[in-house]
Amino acid sequence: MTFKILAAVFLGIFTGFFLFPEYLVSHIGLLIDFGLCLLLFFVGIDIGKQKDILIKIKDMGFKILLVPIMIAFGSIMGAMIGGVLLKMPINEAGAIGAGFGWYSLSAIELSKHSAQLGTLAFATNVSREVIALITIPSIAKYFGKLECIAPAGATAMDTTLPIISKSTDGGIAVISFITGVVLSSLVPILVPLMMKLNFLY
Amino acid sequence: MNILLYLLILLLGAFIGSKNLLKAKIMNNVGTIQTFALLFLLFVMGVKIGLDKDIIYSLGTIGLQSIFLAVFSIIFSIIGVRIISSKVLREKVKTENDI
Repeated sequence: MTFKILAAVFLGIFTGFFLFPEYLVSHIGLLIDFGLCLLLFFVGIDIGKQKDILIKIKDMGFKILLVPIMIAFGSIMGAMIGGVLLKMPINEAGAIGAGFGWYSLSAIELSKHSAQLGTLAFATNVSREVIALITIPSIAKYFGKLECIAPAGATAMDTTLPIISKSTDGGIAVISFITGVVLSSLVPILVPLMMKLNFLY
Repeated sequence: MNILLYLLILLLGAFIGSKNLLKAKIMNNVGTIQTFALLFLLFVMGVKIGLDKDIIYSLGTIGLQSIFLAVFSIIFSIIGVRIISSKVLREKVKTENDI
């Protein structure tokens, strides 16, 4: 599966860069929305087929929120440590990490500070999404089902949800969706907040 | 926003899945349909990234930096989830052990 995912993404990038006809560009968003809705529908069917999911989720209760909290914490910490190693301002690195894979929003927010930072935020969060797409099946297999939500970040509710659902089960898919919703809501708050922490460097 | 649309579609799917409203032939092939839809979506997402010439050209200069930051973010989030995963999934592990 990992190879197929890798092949599909890179074939797409190649096609987009060299071959994609100009007149179809405006329809690409629509195509993605359609594909996404179709997949989410099937994820829903998978969830519905397992009868005891709601009971399991109820059992876990508010503990589910620990998942997005730890992912938020880990993403920002990780980016900060990576930033220190790259000799970047630590708050800028943290702000990029707080994009949680939602590249459009974090890039727009950070390009207000500088175009260069916006581009880096965009590239980092695109990389995060692509790496997540490729590694989720292996992480689910070798590290644990709950752990495979971690690389997905904010995309755990849309683009990476079908892969998480396929690699795990309906229960994890529900946690993944909740995680994605929480993290997506945090992006517009945490990215500007991190930039305000300029006393850190 | 989009969240609402996603939630509605998921709920619609869950309702149809739980009531078994689709024909058995479709239900049994959900996995295959999903794989095709997924690979198609990934392809189109790749096309969108490839169309953004700025991002492709900037990858030469900031590519390594961005992958480095992304990998660090990912590794630390996995560690974060690892710390709490047994706590969150405890109920589930118990039931699995019972079986």
